[in-house]
Amino acid sequence: MFDWVVKYLGFLKHVPVLPHVFDALLKLTSLLTNKNLPDYIDEIETEVLSWQHTHVSAHKYGGLQFNINTTELGHIHGNGLLDILLNREQKFLLMKQYPVQDHHIFKNSGWISFWIKTMEDKQTAVALLRYVYDLKIPSPDLRPRRVKDLETL
Amino acid sequence: MSTSSNPNLRIFYGILVANLVSIVLVGAGKYLVTYLEGNETGNSSGIFIFSSFVIVPMIMGAISAWYWHPLQMKTRAYIGWSAISTLVACAASFIFLKEGVICLLIVSPLILVFIVTGALLARMLFNRKNNTLNSSLAGLVLVVLLADTFSSHKNVQLVSDTMIVNAPIEKVWPYVVEYEPITLKENYWLFQIGMPSPVQSTVDGHEAGAGRKCIFSNGYVFDEKMIVYKPNEELTFDILTQPHDPEIMGHIDILRGQFILKDNGDGTTTVIGNSWYKLYVFPGWYFNLWSESITRNVHLRVMEHIKILSEQGV
Repeated sequence: MFDWVVKYLGFLKHVPVLPHVFDALLKLTSLLTNKNLPDYIDEIETEVLSWQHTHVSAHKYGGLQFNINTTELGHIHGNGLLDILLNREQKFLLMKQYPVQDHHIFKNSGWISFWIKTMEDKQTAVALLRYVYDLKIPSPDLRPRRVKDLETL
Repeated sequence: MSTSSNPNLRIFYGILVANLVSIVLVGAGKYLVTYLEGNETGNSSGIFIFSSFVIVPMIMGAISAWYWHPLQMKTRAYIGWSAISTLVACAASFIFLKEGVICLLIVSPLILVFIVTGALLARMLFNRKNNTLNSSLAGLVLVVLLADTFSSHKNVQLVSDTMIVNAPIEKVWPYVVEYEPITLKENYWLFQIGMPSPVQSTVDGHEAGAGRKCIFSNGYVFDEKMIVYKPNEELTFDILTQPHDPEIMGHIDILRGQFILKDNGDGTTTVIGNSWYKLYVFPGWYFNLWSESITRNVHLRVMEHIKILSEQGV
């Protein structure tokens, strides 16, 4: 259903507020299909907000966006789809180690997608966001966990 | 005990204030638009504009989030309490606006989705304390609300259905004009849960200008006047009066009905049923889905009955 809407009704994402309505619909249906998913997303939000210089905002195409200062770390749609922007080298490195996929729309870009469905997925999502956080945090002394986090997963 | 220190009171006020504001906004919008549209409101019980079911629920969600955001509730709780707020809104509509249960069943998913959207978006904005952004969004909502109120609201639609009857046209025609009570089992879920369905049609005469009655279950009667009466060809009738039932009726006027018969040359007949209706509830893209489905099932129930009667003894 999500893929169908993105493929055939994706052009509607430019209508103000409509992506957020669709995301609310995804959250409602998630409660019926995977009742723990909203809690997983809340817990990811709590964890990411505990990192320095991070804040959340509404993603322009619907979902919860994580930012470090003015840079996006990634965003989670209401159905548990995490999207993260990396460069292609980092993307291929991650794809070898984790069940991350090409972005659900921009397949040949640096974007990756990861489905959050279980508690383990939630932990992986946090590690992925931490990885990109460590890459994008401006101060070098705030970057020690980048490799360690991925290795310990 | 102050509101700020009592979570239960915050949740309660979040629902109560949101619903009170919605009553004022929806009520004011309905009466203002109905007044502005004048004679265009026809037999309706007033016009409910797009904002009543989209913008107002989003405002309701935002008001609730204003009360709830200090509680740091989970998303699941926001959705749950938004669902309660939707139920309260529906109960208030049932009691004060005399809306029917099926009508509320139809509208409740729309209200719920937009209340949740408003609540979750506003939670994010209030938590960030970005007053500039909050003011901009509030301004945008106000502009949409006003623009919608003062826009023209006309929504006339045609629903057309076709059925092949395995009988010659002269056997079909009499049953198109009038028919005995339908005894078919209801197979459309809205009819099964109480929405009026067509039962019988009677006529005063067999000519253009004669009266026709379409009787629905629960005794509702549509008074009609046949304006085109061409045997074995076309029957067109205007609806003169329609019942004011809380279930749908009052929010939709059936304007005209039509049957067109075509001889297929092989002993079968094609029956085309057309209905024109006018909706008084918006957004049209949502309510047209429902009214088209309902009208289609009225057509199919009548046409199926005509088919059975016509094919008897052929």
